Amino acid sequence: MATLFLDILTTASMLFIVAAGLMIILGVMKLINFAHGAFLTVGGYAVHVVTDAGYNAWLTIPAAAAVGFLLGVVVERLVVRPLYSRPLDAILATWGLGIVIAQVIVFIFGREVQFAASPISGTAELLATTYSAWRLILVGAAVILGVLLTALLYLTRFGLNARAVIMNEDLARGLGIDSVRVRAMTFGLGAALACAAGALITPLLSVDPNMGLPWLVNSFMLVLVSGVAIPGLALASLLLGGAQVLVSTFVSPIIGGITIVVLAAVILRIKPQGLSRG
Amino acid sequence: MADITSEASERSSRQVWRTAIGAAVALAIILTAPFYLDTYMTNVLIRALFLGVLALTVDLVWGYAGILTFGQSAFFGIGAYACALVFTHWGFGPGWAIAALLIGVLVAALTAWLVGLLSFYHGASPLYSSIMTLALPIVLVQIIFAGGRFTGSSSGLSGFPTYYWSIDTWFIIAGVLLVLVASVAWLFVRSDYGRILVAIRENEDRCAYLGIPVSRIKTGLFVACGAVGAIAGFGYAAFTNVVAPELGGFLLGTESLIWVALGGRGTLIGPILGAIGIDVTSSYLSGSLPFLWKFIVGVAFVVVIIVLPNGFASLATSGWRRYRMRGVEAGDVRHGPGITLVSTSGRRADAVDPTVAPIRIDGLTCRYGSLTVLDGITVEGRAGQLLSIVGPNGAGKTTLMRCISNGTERTGGQVAVAGHEIGRNSPQKIVGLGVGRSFQNTSLFDSLTVGDCLRLARFRIDGARSFVRSGTVALPEPALEILKATGLDQQLGLESRYLSHGMKRGLELAMVLATEPRVLLLDEPTAGLTKPERTAIGHVLTRLVAEYGLCVFLIEHDLDFVREISDRIVVLHQGKLLLDGTVDEVVSSDLVKAVYAGQDLEAAS
Repeated sequence: MATLFLDILTTASMLFIVAAGLMIILGVMKLINFAHGAFLTVGGYAVHVVTDAGYNAWLTIPAAAAVGFLLGVVVERLVVRPLYSRPLDAILATWGLGIVIAQVIVFIFGREVQFAASPISGTAELLATTYSAWRLILVGAAVILGVLLTALLYLTRFGLNARAVIMNEDLARGLGIDSVRVRAMTFGLGAALACAAGALITPLLSVDPNMGLPWLVNSFMLVLVSGVAIPGLALASLLLGGAQVLVSTFVSPIIGGITIVVLAAVILRIKPQGLSRG
Repeated sequence: MADITSEASERSSRQVWRTAIGAAVALAIILTAPFYLDTYMTNVLIRALFLGVLALTVDLVWGYAGILTFGQSAFFGIGAYACALVFTHWGFGPGWAIAALLIGVLVAALTAWLVGLLSFYHGASPLYSSIMTLALPIVLVQIIFAGGRFTGSSSGLSGFPTYYWSIDTWFIIAGVLLVLVASVAWLFVRSDYGRILVAIRENEDRCAYLGIPVSRIKTGLFVACGAVGAIAGFGYAAFTNVVAPELGGFLLGTESLIWVALGGRGTLIGPILGAIGIDVTSSYLSGSLPFLWKFIVGVAFVVVIIVLPNGFASLATSGWRRYRMRGVEAGDVRHGPGITLVSTSGRRADAVDPTVAPIRIDGLTCRYGSLTVLDGITVEGRAGQLLSIVGPNGAGKTTLMRCISNGTERTGGQVAVAGHEIGRNSPQKIVGLGVGRSFQNTSLFDSLTVGDCLRLARFRIDGARSFVRSGTVALPEPALEILKATGLDQQLGLESRYLSHGMKRGLELAMVLATEPRVLLLDEPTAGLTKPERTAIGHVLTRLVAEYGLCVFLIEHDLDFVREISDRIVVLHQGKLLLDGTVDEVVSSDLVKAVYAGQDLEAAS
């Protein structure tokens, strides 16, 4: 029972961490970044490079975020900026970008699974069970991430500008907010979050050129169900992630794999705006 | 009349002939191809031809109707698995083959119908249907995984009995299938119905307000394309003798988008060449340069989406267009030999009971959260009466129009059109009851010609022909009059984006009238027009009311104009109905003056 509870909590945390970057980009830019899976993969490879070079494994997360930010700013300039007026095309272009990134990774590192050291290994005793320590750390990481993102959006100048752009871009521009810069920063931030998320989940996965792909669709569904808001995303991760764990445990892991997708499709049919609005 | 119809049928038969000649040439190429192709190439091409059929269906759904689908592969997979499962588990033979094909087509069509039912409803965002098509292949693959030994799980099924015909025979089968599907699609997208798909892609909302059952058309197209995709999958499986979950997966779905995007969405040849070209090249390069090839395709895809949204085919088509337009001024292009307008025979079939009000609004309320935009509006519109709705900005005038023309908008109260409650019906059903609505901003279909726009408006009453382009549009008298008054009847071949603002307004009004409404809702029809244009429209409106007995609701800011043409005026202020009376009563009212002067109501009264 305690294991089940922890499974739900940690799965929800992972989903929250992984989907956060996608949500920031969708929220501010009204744009679905299908390169998100590839960004997660880049994060995983950043871990591989940093630990392979012998640095402390805790450094992997800021390193991945830095790589992600640079990547995001470049991608925004080259691929995303021409497509602001064509959101459905932007989905396709970022998907193509994901293919390109995966192939570049194959060129550099090959197709085989890579080794990456984990900051913490082993298990911890909690609620009278032994449980993977890293999964427990992810719960903390998710909470910190949620708080930091909320603070960023509501307590900083960047957050104010970003919210203005979310609500009414033309007016925001009229008020002297450089919306192009806000968008570039946002895409960089979203990519940084995605890469950092990739680094955070790497200790639980193997590093290969397509490691991020399975997370893409689930993150996308969660973000839409969340109604593009941080508390909504937390709620969606808990509900849908919880459902996934329950179905996988009691019905079948294969059906568990489609729980999030099916539930999201149903929820969005009933509440097209997601959980946060109306 | 006789010569018009004969001209039309001559035109459409010419279209059929041209298609038949094109198909014959393509067939000749296919029948002779085995003579000069080597075995490996033929093998690769057979698979590519089946995938080309899949690409065509993606193109129809995405390129023509604008539904971004990630899940067309699911139907391909269903067809493939129908073949493999039947041949593996039940039996093999001509009877079984036909049964398997039928099962595949039926299951695919049923799946497509269910997905369509869920994803296409009025007000659905285009993203939602994409989400559904994304979920579909993912769910299908998991079902295949869950099938265990029955479906072969992740390794799929292979070695089932199939027709080991010579490779040339298979090539011809695949080729003929592709030519057949392409020819039918060619005729279809050039027909009246094909224009409707383009209209839906360009302005879905406006289509709904013309009474076009958008969701039903989209679902129908999705079902047809799903069925065709299943046939292609069936052929693919029967030929390769191997099925794997990847055939129904999300990755093949996105790959087919890449073929279509590179080849050119919204053309038919482009996607076919895209699918065949990319598939054949990757078969050759996958041995020597597998990663580099994928990389090149990925880069090409991104670049094409950004700088060449209509794919490589657009280079050819724009070149062709430039060739045809030599020496012709831009905006002066006429499409085809034009369309003839004729008058509809007779009046509306369903006679109206004169004692029933054309429209009755009772206690209509509309709230957004705590904001009340309309509060208990009760108005009755009478036949042969022009009712103007006036009031300052934000009074709720446009919202009132919205609540009448879309059953899902209002929060409370009833609206009855000719005695029928509108309930929670979607706009296209309400158009069917006899409500026509024009919009505040001219929302037209840019790439359709004036004639196409008018035919579109007649879809609800006259329907549309699936494989033929008809040469006439039947319009009711008032619509013809407007076209004549604005000179639009001389511009039927012109794309509507090149029209002047005044002509766009005229066309919009003519389109609404073409739906033969009982009740006409006009939201600032004269905004931005010159004085003569305004007078002309005012003249038409009074005639509509006096001679054709329409009930017109008009939103207008110009009070002088209102005074000239109205029979009755309703004043809205802050969501409440302030006054309902004759022109004189309202114009002389101090209350109205106070409202427009922005004074406090209490002080004025």
